[in-house]
Amino acid sequence: MLFGRSKKNPIKIVDKGVIEWKYATCGYCSTGCSIEVGLNEAGKPVSSRGVADADVNRGKLCLKGIYEHELFDSAGRGTVPKKRDHWHEDWQTTDWDTALDTTHDEIRRIQEKHGRDSFAIVSTGQMLTEEFYTLGKLTRGLIGTNNYDGNTTLCMASAVSGYKRSFGSDGPPGCYEDFEYTDCLIAWGSNLPEQHPIIYWRMKEAQEKRKFPLIVVDPRVTMLAQFADIHLPITPGTDVVLQNALMHVIFDEHLEDAEYIEANTNNVEELREEVAKYKPSMAAKICGIDEDTIRSVARLYANAGAAMSIWTMGINQSTHGSDGVVGINNLALITGNIGKPGGTSLSITGQCNAMGTREWSSCSGLPNYRMLENPQDRKDIAEFWNIDEEFLPKKRGMFQTDIYHAIETGQIKGLWLIATNPLSSLPNSERVRRAMQKLEFCVVQDCYEDTESAQYAHVYLPAGTWAEKEGVMTNTERRVNLVKPIVTPPGEAKPDLWIFNQMAKRFNTTGRVFFPEKSADIFLEMASISKGRLSDISGMSHDLIEKNRGIQWPYTGRQLSMNETPPQGGKRLYTEAASFRYADGKAKLIPLPFIDNNEVPDEKFPVWLNTGRLIEHWHGRTKTGKIGNNNKYSPIPFIEINPDLAAELDIQRGEYVRLVSRRSDAVVMATPTQRVPKNMVFLPFHFHDCANRLTLGLLDPHSRQPAYKQSAVRIEKLDDQKAAAKLSMEMRAF
Amino acid sequence: MFKKRENEPAYALLNDASCQTLNRYGHTINTVEAGDVRRDQSLNINDDNSISANPNRYKQHGFYFNADNCIACHACEAACSEKNDNPAHISFRSVGFVEGGTYPAYQRINISMACNHCDDPVCLKGCPTRAYTKYAEYGAVLQDPDICFGCGYCTWVCPYNAPQLDPVKGQVSKCNMCVDRLEVGLKPACVSACLGNALDFGVIENIPVNRVQAKTEIPGFPRTDITHPNIRFQQTRTPQRDMSRVDQNPVKYHRQQNSESFNPVVDMKHGVEREWNWTRLLGSHENAHIAFTLSAQTVMAAFLILLTGCWFEPVASFQSSSAMMPSLYFMFVLISFGLFKLNMHLGKPERFYRGFYNLKHSPVSREIAGVSLFYTGLIGYIFFAHFNHGYTQILQILFAGIGVLGAGFGGYFMYKLYRIEARPFWNHWYTAASFCATGLVLGSLLLAVIALLFSSMTVGLGQVLLSMVVVGLVLDLAGLTAHARSLQSSSSEGAASFYLQTTRYGNAYWLRNSLLVVALLLAIYMLLSTNHTVFTYSVLTVIALASHIISRALFYVVVIPTTMPGAFFWKNQGFVEHAREVGLVDMPQLGVVHERHHAFNISELVETIKTTTMKQKFSQLRSIFTG
Repeated sequence: MLFGRSKKNPIKIVDKGVIEWKYATCGYCSTGCSIEVGLNEAGKPVSSRGVADADVNRGKLCLKGIYEHELFDSAGRGTVPKKRDHWHEDWQTTDWDTALDTTHDEIRRIQEKHGRDSFAIVSTGQMLTEEFYTLGKLTRGLIGTNNYDGNTTLCMASAVSGYKRSFGSDGPPGCYEDFEYTDCLIAWGSNLPEQHPIIYWRMKEAQEKRKFPLIVVDPRVTMLAQFADIHLPITPGTDVVLQNALMHVIFDEHLEDAEYIEANTNNVEELREEVAKYKPSMAAKICGIDEDTIRSVARLYANAGAAMSIWTMGINQSTHGSDGVVGINNLALITGNIGKPGGTSLSITGQCNAMGTREWSSCSGLPNYRMLENPQDRKDIAEFWNIDEEFLPKKRGMFQTDIYHAIETGQIKGLWLIATNPLSSLPNSERVRRAMQKLEFCVVQDCYEDTESAQYAHVYLPAGTWAEKEGVMTNTERRVNLVKPIVTPPGEAKPDLWIFNQMAKRFNTTGRVFFPEKSADIFLEMASISKGRLSDISGMSHDLIEKNRGIQWPYTGRQLSMNETPPQGGKRLYTEAASFRYADGKAKLIPLPFIDNNEVPDEKFPVWLNTGRLIEHWHGRTKTGKIGNNNKYSPIPFIEINPDLAAELDIQRGEYVRLVSRRSDAVVMATPTQRVPKNMVFLPFHFHDCANRLTLGLLDPHSRQPAYKQSAVRIEKLDDQKAAAKLSMEMRAF
Repeated sequence: MFKKRENEPAYALLNDASCQTLNRYGHTINTVEAGDVRRDQSLNINDDNSISANPNRYKQHGFYFNADNCIACHACEAACSEKNDNPAHISFRSVGFVEGGTYPAYQRINISMACNHCDDPVCLKGCPTRAYTKYAEYGAVLQDPDICFGCGYCTWVCPYNAPQLDPVKGQVSKCNMCVDRLEVGLKPACVSACLGNALDFGVIENIPVNRVQAKTEIPGFPRTDITHPNIRFQQTRTPQRDMSRVDQNPVKYHRQQNSESFNPVVDMKHGVEREWNWTRLLGSHENAHIAFTLSAQTVMAAFLILLTGCWFEPVASFQSSSAMMPSLYFMFVLISFGLFKLNMHLGKPERFYRGFYNLKHSPVSREIAGVSLFYTGLIGYIFFAHFNHGYTQILQILFAGIGVLGAGFGGYFMYKLYRIEARPFWNHWYTAASFCATGLVLGSLLLAVIALLFSSMTVGLGQVLLSMVVVGLVLDLAGLTAHARSLQSSSSEGAASFYLQTTRYGNAYWLRNSLLVVALLLAIYMLLSTNHTVFTYSVLTVIALASHIISRALFYVVVIPTTMPGAFFWKNQGFVEHAREVGLVDMPQLGVVHERHHAFNISELVETIKTTTMKQKFSQLRSIFTG
């Protein structure tokens, strides 16, 4: 009232009337933030906030987490089971028993007619670990198909494969605390501020306390690249060449940690021999980074007291994704940067529980990094589950990407999709669409009934989402954290765990396999078979996890019985000498010859198509596309296109253009920016019927992960802008 | 009051240990001195009458933004909207950006901006309803949506796009500085949510730990002399010479030679093709203003010509002719239509009476008061024209006086309210010239056409009226020429407006100019040839009217405020228009809504009249003058 009015009016500020805060772990990315959802007097979730004393996020949330309470009643939620004889027909609502019986009967019918493996199950990284474990037990122990995988093949398979090849097991060895100790950070194809904003904040906090050099390898000038001390705008698909050149310099200038190599690794000579071929002057011509910079980065990295690498899809989603991971591991191993504070090779995972599915789903093997190829592992698990050892296959079956090719060729006739939407998320959507039309039977289990893949389903099972369920998730730094039910699923929708257990009853006719009903009990079962494993969680329980706001594995029963409280953070793997998971405890240094099998721009398709993520959206936008305060920042698909290229093609800012690849086309809006080079466009992948209509997605030979980020397109100007706008809009309708 | 957790993280806590006495504008940082009666009062937030013990409660606070660090993660916006329960199309804080350079030496500067709780809040001064208050507590500028009637004038005058006009609710709301959090020692929600360590908050001029600058200039941020905003920046990375906006505004910011400051200059991002764009030109939400200003100026001028022209024989004879009463009736109908359009464009038309509330500061209040006075004068004058007694004649003269006074006062402030610093296109004497010209040209032609219709046209009257038309047209053309010159040579958003005017609306612009010249030539020809046929007058009237409608439509549609840069979709008026045009707006969760009209809610008005006591009514009336 300095001026304005002499008589002050009372102030009104929104009070949402929260009377209770409920604890959960965020269900978006793999950062694993602890979140509290506020309920008002009517029990409606009205607010979200970060848990102040959680070590991961320390009270912070990104914009998706801040609006996570709006998720529960978003449009398109499935509330009743549905059924139909053919996907041409309209859905008929049905009851759970009919839906589950039909599914059971169809699975068995197909298996009997075409063989056990002709029915495939594709799950996700979105569910809770107890659910993954139960689904794994059901699939491996009772249904008995070996074509069982998760959509984590689309994001983390290369990291898994690379870790296994280098260290003898999956499991990221570092933690967020490493930012506080590192003297050099290389981010490979990772745009932290946009993709893992809270991890970025942790890094920023560390950097403000103690400045350390940041090197960013990314063909696009992301915010992180802009903040980098050294930005390496690499030619897409040539990371291995850069890595080999860096190692060339390190060996050439004797910057390696010979003592560490000797004590902890095998195969160094083969590696030396291979990288000797990659002189920086030669590598520069392939990867587009000049030789001086290569040398300078190699010296900076190798001379740092502790150096770490982080990476995301820029490495993983490539025809040599697994090799790229091994290359990063090689760099860390030859400089002694594993298992020490600030020295690590840390894969920044994708989905909230991608780690949980890696550890416990039995997709790629058996629970807790056990392998089907290992007779002892098969025996242990068969005994524990009380099944016939011979029922388990002796090597893993197909990956998700291969499963779709097998549907195409007719090997696979039936499919159970769980919380994943391949029609949006797999490369070459039209090929996926054709494959899905061929299925004799498809059951889709999802929290949204308008998920695009349900178009080709015969049964739809409505599932609960995120905090309508109880269980744990594991984050990027191996922290197991708890989700508790905040509300119940809408209508007749049920938690995924309930669905699996009901399905299990139908397959478990003799009753010999035990399926606990409660999530906390399942956790204890899992804990008991984790004893002595790399991912030992035998000291944890749901209650202890919540109390500690998440516990990093390993935390053993022994530690618990000795009253050793779990540390807040800072737990690392491979801290002891020769403690890797190969039999002799030594990591393997693997030479990486470079094979250029990417689709690269040519005369007909002269522009690189680079795909990636936006901070406001989550994956296929099924969640964030329905939350206005997330979706509004990018409601329709767009490309970043270099203004010089736009000018050549006479494309104005805000015009729709058509992108054409060898697969199909997509209509997108153009935003000219110098963020991308003249021979590249950047297209966010979140939008249905868009980026993946274009992508080729050649598969990595080791991880079978698709190379989403290296395709070639041409750009066509559209004269009828109104029709383009209409088309773009139709494709956005849920 | 905000419920503070026991374990709030340190970054969320207010932490000003000391502060300076004066800010950089020379104002005291203490909002009121010790012992002032305005101290130690409750803010009465949601009826909580407690008084906070925050030691810095009576110091001007402000946001601190480190542009070096902002990553455009939108966490600040989300936290703000979550706390204030704002729908997707409203945001008290928003992030836009400017970019420059060439790959890979590309640079993007993100700017997160809310209200700057200015020392000289132009929103507060402009608001006709006195919905704004600058509090002694924290120096917060708060707006009360329950008082607002949704005219949107504050959104015109604020250079930072802080007040948000909600087309759905028909009212404005804005950043409230999270005073409920400040009262319990917490920084605002946006600051606590920041993930780039870019946003901070505290007593103004205090530089946060680890930061080295407290500037008031970054590329994209408007000049500070308009409002003396309470925001400080750090921006140590040297920006590129040209930093461009990515929204539809054809503006970029160019670094001054040997200086750190950036000036807005034209960015010809839409090319140089001349277009018509009739739908956008004539389909804007500002049509109500076109109708109101044109009709009010025409009628007020016609009334003034009639009354002050009575010393001229031709006008005096018009007064006594059969055309006199029809012309008054027509004037009444025309201005009533204008006033109706104006009132009905409000978000809350039933709150029209609040338009007078801020006579002390607001040119809008003064305009409304003046025009209402004129309207009263006109009605009284018409009414008493029906009687022929001595005292009714005196009363009629009295009302004529009221009308003349109202026209002068209202007309002046009608012009004055467009002299907005944050809208360089309007902030020129051309606005006055254009408004006067409308009155002279259309007012004279109104009288001429009615005189012709009622066979009261004389050679003398024609000459008087045509002379005024000629004067008006010359004034208009002179104003236009001066305006165009000034815009072209200016380094401001005005130059960008001129670019829009001559490209996107280029054909309409040149059509208008040509029509004015044709009208001038025709009027001169008629004046010299004493040609007073119905036909020539009709042609002249149609040409003049068309040129004025186009002119006024251009006036509203090409104005570019000195506002914060938007992003490509969010806070981009271009995308908003596109979404409305192609129907994207009908999809939920888009953050864009239709413009809409709001019905006159009679029951709310009756309810207000019923529930307000006589005493309250008097005190409301008194406060119009006392503030």
